[in-house]
Amino acid sequence: MPNLALKNLLHDKLRSVMTIAGVAFAVTLVFVQVGLFLGILDNASVTIDHIAADLWVTSRNTPNVDFAHGFPETRVQRVRSIPGVARAANLLVQFLNLTLPDGAEEGMLVYGLEDFKRWGIPWKIDSGDLADLKRGDYMFLDASAERRFGPFAVGDYREVMGYRVKILGRTRDALSFTTSPLAFLDYSLVQKLAGERMDGRSTYILVKLEPGADPAAVAAEIRQRLPWNDVYTRADWAKRSRGYWVASTGIGLNMYLTVFLGCLVGVVVVTQTLYTSTMEHIKEFGTVKAIGGSNRDIYRILGSQAVIAAVIGFVAGRLMAFALAPAMAEIRLKLIIPTEFAGIVFVGTLVLCLTAALVSFRKVSKIDPALVFRA
Amino acid sequence: MQIAPSPHRNVLEAQGVTKVFREGREEVSVLNGVDLTVAPGEIVALEGPSGSGKTTFLSILGCILTPTSGRIVVDGEEIDASRPARLPAIRKRSIGFVFQQYNLFPALTALENVEYALNIKGTNGRQGRRQAEAAIDQVGLADRAHFLPRDLSGGQKQRVAIARALAGKPPVLLADEPTANLDTAVGGQILGLFRDLAKRENRGLLIVTHDPNVRAIADRVVKIRDGRIISDLPEAPVARLAMPIVEAPLSPRHSARRSRRKEKLS
Repeated sequence: MPNLALKNLLHDKLRSVMTIAGVAFAVTLVFVQVGLFLGILDNASVTIDHIAADLWVTSRNTPNVDFAHGFPETRVQRVRSIPGVARAANLLVQFLNLTLPDGAEEGMLVYGLEDFKRWGIPWKIDSGDLADLKRGDYMFLDASAERRFGPFAVGDYREVMGYRVKILGRTRDALSFTTSPLAFLDYSLVQKLAGERMDGRSTYILVKLEPGADPAAVAAEIRQRLPWNDVYTRADWAKRSRGYWVASTGIGLNMYLTVFLGCLVGVVVVTQTLYTSTMEHIKEFGTVKAIGGSNRDIYRILGSQAVIAAVIGFVAGRLMAFALAPAMAEIRLKLIIPTEFAGIVFVGTLVLCLTAALVSFRKVSKIDPALVFRA
Repeated sequence: MQIAPSPHRNVLEAQGVTKVFREGREEVSVLNGVDLTVAPGEIVALEGPSGSGKTTFLSILGCILTPTSGRIVVDGEEIDASRPARLPAIRKRSIGFVFQQYNLFPALTALENVEYALNIKGTNGRQGRRQAEAAIDQVGLADRAHFLPRDLSGGQKQRVAIARALAGKPPVLLADEPTANLDTAVGGQILGLFRDLAKRENRGLLIVTHDPNVRAIADRVVKIRDGRIISDLPEAPVARLAMPIVEAPLSPRHSARRSRRKEKLS
């Protein structure tokens, strides 16, 4: 059967390009906006996702991983004694000031652990050996710090909280939600740099369970033994950390608003171009009716046009989002587009394009086939 | 209501047809008790000045409009004005239209225009393609089958329109000013084609026209004025013979068939 919908689209090339561009623009906007949102949110839990801990013990009501506050570090012993716990370690997370060579001060987020390797953090190391951290006042600094702290090299010194600390290694992709660069130092060095307020204190206890141990049962036991702390599974803690930023910053509302506007622009463009196309082909649709076609035959043509525009527009939009990802990475912005989300956007694009075609459906349902006799 | 088919029944019948349009509070009566019949193989020319109601009458006969009152029977099926949803099915099965403006789909080739009409009428796939090719061949456009309408002359477009009207072999062909946009020579070819198709395939053909040349192929000329039939007379054989009709150039296959037929008759 000749595909009148496709042929019409190919025949009206300029209008088809406009329709598809409208869809592609909307799809790109949605992908980029949601991708950036997911990328930024990923930063909010990136360390939680990478640290090989099954359970996190936090201070009571800690809102997210960056905003930690202390509790006595000896509590880790109580956790270690619980059946089902393979190992447990104190983790210190602190915002500390770093003095730049020009005298300016910047904040950085510092992770302090006794054995980083054992917990799988940092996860991307460009240079340096984590074992060296224990040998003195040393730190691993993430490459992203160059945007805020200026260029640095392994072997350089920086002043942290008034102490000279040597950069021994360089990591990648370790960024906090607040865009503060991450540094990795030995646990005791962080305590020293943080001063008296963190003396003998920790901010988290990382818990690795024995194979086959029930996380819920162990968490319940920890809660019983440490009634002034909270306990989360890794997934729950990551969710809580991300949720804090969504709820408290308006980033979620901003994302939803942009997605809504993107969809609106797409629908308006598709509606307008499909409607104009329908009006220009109105006599052809009248002819379809005159030769015995029904409204359904015409709906099929319009619906097919909308679906074709949706599919091509989606592919173009997805490719544009792909193409933008490296440029975003250049400015340290992550674009995360999960396959399931791409699937949702595809279905959404189809639904919106078909919704846009409804206006044209209304118009053709009222076509008077007698118009075919008019000159 | 289904009328029992008979071998000699008319393919088109109109009895006492009226049509009243409302324009605001006013009622405009366009047709006032029109009667007409078209038999299989008969060519009827419907003539009348602008505003006489002939296009409205054609729309009613073509099941595009319903009459205000009166009786319409198309190929044995009486049109029930209370069931307008039935009209597309009757159009699909029984009527082929040829329009003054051709009304071809500009994005489809000549062959696809015919094939699409066949698909609408329910003939799909290879069968649809074969029938479309046969129809295009029948109107002598086999070598232009894959041309878009914009690449065809007015006469060729009208041939495609005729091939499309023939798709599905409807017993009734309705043509609205089919020669109005064509020069005399091409118009003559189109009329010759109409005559051949109507006579050879025994289809009832109603041509609404201003063109006096149409009389040359018509069996009857019906004149309408102010919504009334003012004359319905057989066209004199002399008048028919006086009109020069150009033999339509058919495809080689059809030309050969026509030569054989002539030889047989002589």
